Amino acid sequence: MFSRAAKEHVFAAATRIALFISIGILAFLLGAIILRGLSALSLDFLFTPSRSFGSSGGIAYQILGSLLTAITAGLIATPVALGASVYRSEYMTSQRARRIFDLMLYGLNGVPSIIFGLFGLILFVNIIGTGLSWFVGGIILAVMMLPTATLATVNAMRGIEKNYRENALALGLTREQTALRIIIPQSLHGLVTGVLIGLARAIGETAPIMFIATAFSGATVPTSLHEPVATLPTHILALAQQAADPAALKNAWGASFTLIALVALFSLAAFFARARLSPYSRR
Amino acid sequence: MGSALICASLVGLIILTLIGQTGPVLSGHFSSLWGTVWNPNTDQYGIIPMLYGSIIVMLIAMAIALPLGVLTAIYIAETRSARLRGIMKSALEVLAGIPSIVYGLIGVAYVSVWVAKGLDLQTGRLILTAGIILAVMILPTILTLTEDAISNVPEIYRENARALGLYRHEVIKDVVLPHAKRDILAAALLALGRALGETMAVMLVIGSLDRLPSPLFNLLSSGQTITSKLGREIGESAFGSAHFSALVLMGLILVLITLALTAAAQWLIHRAPREAAHV
Amino acid sequence: MLLSRRRAAILALSFSAACGLLACGGADKSNTVSISGSTTVLPAISRAADDYSMQKDIKIIVNAGGSGGGFKQLAEGQTDIGMMSRDITQGEMDAFADHIFTSVIIGRDAVAPVVSAEIYDAGVTALSFAQITDIYMGRVDNWSDVGGPDRPIFVIDKAAGSGTRQVFAQIVFGDKTALAAGADLVIGSNNEEQTAISQSDSAIGMLSFAWINDDVRALAIATPNGNVEANIDNVNTGAFPITRDLVIVIREDVSPAASQFVNFMLSPEGQKHVADSGYLSVSK
Repeated sequence: MFSRAAKEHVFAAATRIALFISIGILAFLLGAIILRGLSALSLDFLFTPSRSFGSSGGIAYQILGSLLTAITAGLIATPVALGASVYRSEYMTSQRARRIFDLMLYGLNGVPSIIFGLFGLILFVNIIGTGLSWFVGGIILAVMMLPTATLATVNAMRGIEKNYRENALALGLTREQTALRIIIPQSLHGLVTGVLIGLARAIGETAPIMFIATAFSGATVPTSLHEPVATLPTHILALAQQAADPAALKNAWGASFTLIALVALFSLAAFFARARLSPYSRR
Repeated sequence: MGSALICASLVGLIILTLIGQTGPVLSGHFSSLWGTVWNPNTDQYGIIPMLYGSIIVMLIAMAIALPLGVLTAIYIAETRSARLRGIMKSALEVLAGIPSIVYGLIGVAYVSVWVAKGLDLQTGRLILTAGIILAVMILPTILTLTEDAISNVPEIYRENARALGLYRHEVIKDVVLPHAKRDILAAALLALGRALGETMAVMLVIGSLDRLPSPLFNLLSSGQTITSKLGREIGESAFGSAHFSALVLMGLILVLITLALTAAAQWLIHRAPREAAHV
Repeated sequence: MLLSRRRAAILALSFSAACGLLACGGADKSNTVSISGSTTVLPAISRAADDYSMQKDIKIIVNAGGSGGGFKQLAEGQTDIGMMSRDITQGEMDAFADHIFTSVIIGRDAVAPVVSAEIYDAGVTALSFAQITDIYMGRVDNWSDVGGPDRPIFVIDKAAGSGTRQVFAQIVFGDKTALAAGADLVIGSNNEEQTAISQSDSAIGMLSFAWINDDVRALAIATPNGNVEANIDNVNTGAFPITRDLVIVIREDVSPAASQFVNFMLSPEGQKHVADSGYLSVSK
C-alpha cells in the first residue's frame, strides 16, 4: 500500500498540524482573555460596586465576596487536610486502608462541581436550615478542595526519608510527638502548596456556590453568617447571559480577567510556598 | 482521626444525601423517568434527553480533543527543542487554571457566534458548540498527561527501535505508544469525567432544549445535558417536590458515572508494573 | 492520644458552634431585605432597591431565579419578598398550605410575540393566536406559510418556570402546561431571549414589552376584528390580551423592613422606577 516513507511523512505532518492547531487554540484563549480583559479594567472598575445588573459600575463587592469565601474555605480545609494526612501517614498502617482512603479522596475529587452545590443545598440550606450563606459557601468550597490539599500533604509526608522516622523511634518519641515535631514541619510545604492550589481552583468555581451562597445584586459586606455575597464567577455568569449588551460583555471580560488574576495570584503563592518552605533536606 | 474519617466519608455522605432526596419521583412518577418528555407541569420527568445530551457532548469533546491532544503531545515529547516543551508546559499550566465560567464566556461571545456564522445557522447554541467548548477545556489536561506518559517511556526503547531501522512513526506507533497506553487511557478517562461533569461552559451554549434531537445524530440542534439542566432548574424547583427529586436523581446518576470513571482510572494507574514491551 | 483528642475536640467544638450559629438564625436581620424571583420584575425592583437602600440605610439583596423560584424561596423562608410575573398556581399554594401569601400588584406588563427585524420588514407584522400556536407546536415551520419569506421558522421558547412563558402559553396556546413541540431553542431570561432573537434573522419568540427594541419587533395580534397592535394604549384599554400583573408576594410573617419596602414600591417614587423599567404603573 503506502510506502513506509510516505506514512512517515504523513504522520510527521499530522503531528505538526496538531501542534499548530493546539498552539493556535491556546494562543487565542490567552490572547482573548488578556486583550478583552485589560481593556475593561480600570481602578474604578475594581473598586466600585456594580449597577444595573452589572452592565455599569464595577466589581468591588464581587472581589470581596470571592476572597471571603475562598479564605474561609482555606481556613476550614487546612486543619482537616493536615489531620487526615497525619492520620494516614502515621496511624494507618495497613496498605489496604490507605488504598481505600486514597480512593475515597480521588472519588471526591472527581465529583462534578454542581453536585457539590446540590449537596450543599440539600444538607445545609434546607435540612440544617441555614438559608443562603457565604459561610456555607466556604464550607462547600473547602470540601471541594480537600482532595487536592490532602493528597499534596500526603505526598510530602511520603517524601520524608525513613531515616527521620527511624531516628525518632530510636530516640523514644511517641507517635504523636513524631507527628508533631518531625512529620508536620517537614510536610508543611506540601500542605500550604496543596491548599493554595486548591484555593486557586475554588475561587473560580461557579456551580458549587451559585445556589447556596450568592446573590445577584445588593449583596455588600455580610454582617452575619447567614447572608449571601456577590462573587466574581456568578457575576460573570449573569453578565454572560446579557451577551447582546456590549457594556455587559465588556464588564464580563474585565471580571474574568480579574478572576484569572486572582487564580494566578494563588498559583504563584503556591509556587513560592513550595520553593521557600521545602525543608533543607529536599532542596 | 476525625479529619480522616471526614475525608473518607464525604463521598458517601454526598451520595446518601442525594439518594435521600430522590424519593418523591421514584415513588410517584417512576415510569415517566424513562420517557423523553420533560414537563414538570404535567408531572412528566423523562430524563433520557438529558442523559443523551451529556453523553453526546462528551463524545464530541473527546473526539476532538483526544486525537488533537495525543498527536500534539507526541510532537512535544519527541521534539528536541527543550524550549518548545518549556513554553508549552507553562502555557498549559496557565490554561488549566482558567475557571470554567470563562470558557463559558468565550463560548457565548466567540464560539457560538462563529458556529452560527460559519454554518449559516440561526443560533450557535448547539450540541456541537458545547462539544467544541468542552474539547477546548479538556485539551490542556489531555496534553499534559499524555506528554508526561510519552516522556516517561524510557529512552532505551526508542534507541533500540531506531537501531533496528524503524521510522519515527513506527517507533512511536509500535513501541512508545503501547508502553504509554495505560497512562494515556487513564488520562482519557480523567478528561472524560471532567467533560461529563462540566456545568458552566455547557449551560451557556447548549440551548437548553429538553428533547432528543431528530434525527438522533443531529449535532446542529440545541439540546440539554444533565449538568446544564441542574444548573438551570435547581433554583426553580421546590425542595421536596417531585421536580426537585427528579433533578437530584439525574445528579445521582451523574455522580455514579463519574465515580466509576475515577475508579477505573485509578485502577489503571495502579496496576502491577508493566512487562517489557516486545519490539 | 492526647494531642489528637484535644485537636478533635477543638475541631468538633468550632464546627458545632458554626452550625449552631448558622441554624439558630443570623445576627441582625432587621436591616436586610431579601428579594428574589422573576427576571421580568427584577429591573423595576432592582432600580427601586438601589434608590431605597441609599435613602434608608437598609440592605436589599435582589436575586433572579424566575417566578417559580422566587415563590419557592419565599415559601421556604429563604427570602422576604418574592417577585412573580404570573399568578401563584394552585399546586404551589397547596404545597405550602400552612402559609398565607399576599400578592401586591406593583405594575403591569404585556408579553408580545416578537420576531426578528428582518421578518417584520419582510411583511409579517401580525399573526393570529392560532397561527402562533401552530408555529410553536411544530405544525407550521416555514415563514412562507404565514405570509413571510421562504425561510424555516426559528422558534424560541422560554424556560417552563418563567412567568412570561406561563402567561403566553395560557393565553395564546390556551394551555398553561403545554410543551412547545416545535421549539428549536429554549432561553432562560428576558435578556438572553432578546439576544437570541436579535442574532437571528428568522426567529419568533415571546418577550416582555420592556425588552423590545429595534432588533426585536413586536407582532400585532390578528383577530377577526382587526389587528391589535402591541403598544401601551392597547394594554391600557385592555384590547391587547397578553398581559399580566407584576406582583411581589409576601408571607403573613413579613418583616417590618420588607413591608416598608412594599409600601415604597406602591408610592409614586417606586412606581416611577416601575415605569422607568418599561412597565405600566398601577397606582394613580
